[in-house]
Amino acid sequence: MKKTTMILAMLAAAGAASVQAEELLVGVQIPLTGPLARVGMGTQEGIRVAAEVFNKTNGKHTIKLVTVDDESAPAKAVAAIEKLASEGVVAVTGGYGSNNISPASDAAGKLGLAYVTSGGVDDGLVQAGRKNFFRINNTAGYQKALVGLISDLGVKSVSIIYSTKDATEGLATDVQKTLGAKGIKVGMHAFDPAITDFKPILNKVKLQDRSEFIAMVGYENDYVGILRAARVLKPSSVKAIAGVWSLATPKMAADFPDLMPKVYGTAVLPFPVHFTTPEGKSFGDAYTKLLNKEPDYLGQFGYVQSMLLFEAIARAADKGTLKKGGVIEELRKTDKQTLIGRVQFNAVGDNPNFVQRMGQHQGKQVVLVWPKESANGKPMFPGVPW
Amino acid sequence: MPPSPGMSYIDWNANMTELILQSVYSGLLQGGSYALIALGLALVFGAMKVINLAHGELVLLAAYIAYTVETKLGWNPAAAIPVAVIIVTATSALLYFVVSRIKTNREINSLTLTYGVGVILTNIVLMIWSADVRATSSSWMQEAFQVGDLYSMRSEVLFFFVSLVLIVALWWWLSRSWYGRAVRAVSSNRDAAKLMGINPGRTELVSFLVAGILAAFAGVALFSYGTITPATGGVLTVKAFIITVLAGVGSIPGVLIGAVLLGIAEALTVTLASSALQELAGMGLFLLVLFVMPNGLFGATKRRG
Repeated sequence: MKKTTMILAMLAAAGAASVQAEELLVGVQIPLTGPLARVGMGTQEGIRVAAEVFNKTNGKHTIKLVTVDDESAPAKAVAAIEKLASEGVVAVTGGYGSNNISPASDAAGKLGLAYVTSGGVDDGLVQAGRKNFFRINNTAGYQKALVGLISDLGVKSVSIIYSTKDATEGLATDVQKTLGAKGIKVGMHAFDPAITDFKPILNKVKLQDRSEFIAMVGYENDYVGILRAARVLKPSSVKAIAGVWSLATPKMAADFPDLMPKVYGTAVLPFPVHFTTPEGKSFGDAYTKLLNKEPDYLGQFGYVQSMLLFEAIARAADKGTLKKGGVIEELRKTDKQTLIGRVQFNAVGDNPNFVQRMGQHQGKQVVLVWPKESANGKPMFPGVPW
Repeated sequence: MPPSPGMSYIDWNANMTELILQSVYSGLLQGGSYALIALGLALVFGAMKVINLAHGELVLLAAYIAYTVETKLGWNPAAAIPVAVIIVTATSALLYFVVSRIKTNREINSLTLTYGVGVILTNIVLMIWSADVRATSSSWMQEAFQVGDLYSMRSEVLFFFVSLVLIVALWWWLSRSWYGRAVRAVSSNRDAAKLMGINPGRTELVSFLVAGILAAFAGVALFSYGTITPATGGVLTVKAFIITVLAGVGSIPGVLIGAVLLGIAEALTVTLASSALQELAGMGLFLLVLFVMPNGLFGATKRRG
């Protein structure tokens, strides 16, 4: 009798546990094909790692990811959100490219779903007044880093070469205004995203601007084109060259060893990566185990945005407010120290604490050189790859 | 564009001259690369009236083969040309067999079909080589090549001359060889050509094979001086199509002239106006030529291959 009671009690406990370990569906709307496939895949890797770590550490809830490829197209991004909603997801993480994120987050808002991203830095995204939109990074954070480095290096003139896409044009204009206010001479050179030959632009920098610093605001293929053109034309006045996202990465150092030496770019962590916090170590271990490679910045952003979302979902589930806008409410209360620094969300869903760091390619390493409190080395200045 | 403060008019004039000369030189080289990309599409379009919307993907396939040869074997990307020719020509032949199955309204149906094949090829490239940005790491290809005050990469000059040689060879083949004449005959009147003992199917296959060879060279060239991603193919097809129409359907020398004009117009726009207007200037030139000369620069009345 006693034995039977014990077995029944154990079965009841197991049943209760299984009820408690509720499986929650989270939508991932991300570009896995099309022009944004590379950045989309990088972010998705971080999202997968976040789910892995969360499911291991949170005994009460389990996250199951439902992924839909938005093919780097706004209309497909909206369709992806509608598909995810029909499958019963409680929130959405992902998105890349401000022009895709904007309609996708609108669609998510209409369906009452929270939308968290790190792939859109256009300020229009937070100025649209969406209640369900949250992002962990923004133009201001990149601008502070780029301007901070330029100011600390003491250069007097800068040529900004920027893509005419929304996010890059916005960042370039902000950097121009801030540098201008500091009395630094700025030359602006917009380029169409389709162009491949940057020599005519670099020749203008060489013969007309004669700047000490080149700031590139674009994407990987643009950086390669600009650096190649600079290497051919060798503008003698230039003492340093920097870019923003996707540049100060070990992958760029490995793929383009002739182009990267001494080039600066925004970086979350140095390379080789040394995680010091328990969360960092947990992320690094899980990333390497799951994907069999070193973590990169896209993975870190994908991880942070998703982990914050999963924790908010868990809190809402505990309070029984999942279907009553609880996820949005819980995200709004976020205040956490993460891999990219402290994250809070203001009234428009932006993270006011976001500040990037600047790294420099030195040998096969990416050394953090700005700000001083995060630096693990000194900038090699003056220094250019040619 | 007035001189900046502290710069004399003499310096400004010298600078502007150097800027314009460099632009024309860069545009000329860029035009050579555009021509190389457009040749295959122009040939198939001229021969079969088929707009091969998968042509950019064939070029891209060759570029990725060059990438594989460089990274796996450590060879100069130019060494990939024989492998690229074999694989891309075989793919082009397969594409021909698919297109040749169309029995009605070939011009329109082939658009849809080749577009679909292009999407499939893009996704195959994505699956095999991932979405990362690729470009040659060969120092030799990237080194500066200087002629007076004019600069370029070695790879740009090398493939500009390759482009010229291929254009001359193609023009010679079309005008002098039996198969070349057969291609032109089939292009002109398929039924009449058949009555003259020409096998139209075989002739069209030959034009696809030659287009494949040209795409292979174009792809290796693209990898040597540019950057590639799986999404590049569509952009290449559009550029090739613009040049083909600009040149006038069926005109091979027109492809070179149209491509060089486009390259120089784009480069001068960067120098004299803004680099943001480069693509717009190219499209403006395209529309202007079509408005003034609806058959293109070397259209039907002058078409002789």
